[in-house]
Amino acid sequence: MATLSLKNIQKIYPHSGGQKKPKKKTGEPEKKSNLQITDQGVIAVQSFNLEIADKEFIVLVGPSGCGKSTTLRMVAGLEEISAGELYIDGNLVNDVEPKNRDIAMVFQSYALYPHMTVYENMAFPLKLHKMPKDEIDRRVKEAAAILDITQYLDRKPKALSGGQRQRVAIGRAIVREPKVLLMDEPLSNLDAKLRNQMRAEIIKLRQKINTTFIYVTHDQTEAMTLGDRIVIMKDGFIQQIGTPQEVFDHPANLFVAGFIGMPQMNFFSAKLLAEDGRYAVSVGGCKVALSEEKQKNLAAHKAASQEITLGVRPSHMVLSKQAGNTLTATVEVSELMGSEVHFHANADGKDIVVIVPTMDANGQRIDSFHHGDALNLTFSGNVCHVFGQDGRNLEF
Amino acid sequence: MQKVSKMAGQKTISGDLVFRIVNGALLGLVALIVLYPLYFVIIASISSPEAVLAGKVVLYPVDINFDGFQKILERADIWRGYLNTIIYTALTVILSLLVTVPAGWALSRKTLPGKKFWMIFFIIPMFFGGGLIPFYNVMSSLKLVNTMWAVILPSILSVWNLFMTKTFFETSIPDGLIEAAKIDGAGQFRVFTSVVLPLSKAIMAVMALYYAVGQWNSYFNAMIFLQDETLYPLQLVLKEILIASESTVGGSGETILEQFRLANQLKYVSVIVSSLPVLCLYPFVQKYFAQGVMIGSLKE
Repeated sequence: MATLSLKNIQKIYPHSGGQKKPKKKTGEPEKKSNLQITDQGVIAVQSFNLEIADKEFIVLVGPSGCGKSTTLRMVAGLEEISAGELYIDGNLVNDVEPKNRDIAMVFQSYALYPHMTVYENMAFPLKLHKMPKDEIDRRVKEAAAILDITQYLDRKPKALSGGQRQRVAIGRAIVREPKVLLMDEPLSNLDAKLRNQMRAEIIKLRQKINTTFIYVTHDQTEAMTLGDRIVIMKDGFIQQIGTPQEVFDHPANLFVAGFIGMPQMNFFSAKLLAEDGRYAVSVGGCKVALSEEKQKNLAAHKAASQEITLGVRPSHMVLSKQAGNTLTATVEVSELMGSEVHFHANADGKDIVVIVPTMDANGQRIDSFHHGDALNLTFSGNVCHVFGQDGRNLEF
Repeated sequence: MQKVSKMAGQKTISGDLVFRIVNGALLGLVALIVLYPLYFVIIASISSPEAVLAGKVVLYPVDINFDGFQKILERADIWRGYLNTIIYTALTVILSLLVTVPAGWALSRKTLPGKKFWMIFFIIPMFFGGGLIPFYNVMSSLKLVNTMWAVILPSILSVWNLFMTKTFFETSIPDGLIEAAKIDGAGQFRVFTSVVLPLSKAIMAVMALYYAVGQWNSYFNAMIFLQDETLYPLQLVLKEILIASESTVGGSGETILEQFRLANQLKYVSVIVSSLPVLCLYPFVQKYFAQGVMIGSLKE
């Protein structure tokens, strides 16, 4: 249980062999592989500011190479912090050894000691902290019971399945009752079924052990289901921090809008119309007035009529029986998912996805559509996300 | 269609069979080339020396006798040589592991301060030696001449073995495991003793074997630095016996012939006497060569 404060954290990996990259004539940092490369080196994380409350569950999420694992490793003390300050419970820990930070970490690759039994693996950190034997025994057995691995305590890691190994790795972390529990993509090596099961178990575990969690994942479903707050990262920068609902309902930019939500949000080239102080969006011959909340937000930012990218989630698009003020799309592929069908269609030159239930509220089967069929789509003004030319949400 | 696949199957089976036969024959030939000289030494050591010289000993011993073994094993200096060699070998193995394994671990770490310097420091003596006289002078000024340490100390670090150990650590001990141990509360020393060493039995077994065989067979340092015969290792004692048996001059023609016969048999016997203990060591070390010590630890 602890508070964490990350202030302007930066991580630069220096060029190998002390070689300096030549400066560009403009003096601007070079852009390569989406990460910034400067004279000092490759910038993996920059301007990372985050306050984490006691017992909060924070999820760092983003695509590969966005700096989320590097940030976690800096918190763990496994990576040196190039600039900025890291406080745990108000104490500056930039130069504190990992073993003295009172943190525990679960690795993506389990990192179990292969020569030790499950019991010895879990008891190892406690032995290092010179805990009495009976206390070690009590804690190991308690953690094993929580994780349902009591029957495997005498086995070595090689005799366990992937899910059981990951439980042992979690067990080794929780026996210490650490101030902060760090998890680096702990479920990504498990198959889909086991991942869902373990995700639920992490939620239960969180209720039982009540500590501060920092969890890294590239899976937005894990981020949405586990986190009190989500930190979405890209190319070393924080894109947005918020609760799962906030980032889903009010994405700060195109990247967040596209990253959070499955299937991905549909994007259209559209126009924002500001007429008589009222805002509407126009796309493919369809004009939709925005909701009152959006009207207020856009007015507050003095948004003018302009070319925009309009975002609408697949589940917010509705099939209309009549044409007229609708967006027309042509079905390319339909995927039956059981209770709903995902139509992959083309609308106004953009590939979009529309989710349609297979039955209506009365249990009547809804007409199916096939390749080449036309869909008339509508959406309401309160599900529209309006992004400017720079990708920023105009409501922010 | 079925017929075609059946025919294709038959073709594969007959192809496999030919491959197996040729493979077996070649491997058998290689095994024969390696094993026959060893077998010959054994049968020659218990055959009559005349039969050996006449080329009659080819597949089995002729006129079996154990005179050579008797001559060698009845000598007290042989047993003393054995004891000395065992002491030198045991101490060399212990000290070399104490030096090589930690040094290999340190050199395998990216965070070792001055890593480049240390690498060059170790590589230079791998290619350039100081020469025999400076070597003798160093040993002499350290007052090690005519002590058992003159045989042991120069052998406790082989740079080749050190680099082999370093490579093992770099490739076989994953960084994730070391990081996990650090987070669990282990310092550098504890990481090494509790995590790295238990996972390094294979390389330690290989190193122990290399150092042991090297020291067991070595005689040069002992020849240069030891004057006291009670400190002689087995190889030096055997060498002395062979030289003595070959260089006996004088006596009747019959005696010279007898000496010649004995010298020839002693060659084979001494090979067996000096090699047998090392050969016996292999099966005990072999079990540590087992692969897969890391199974279950990491999923990459």
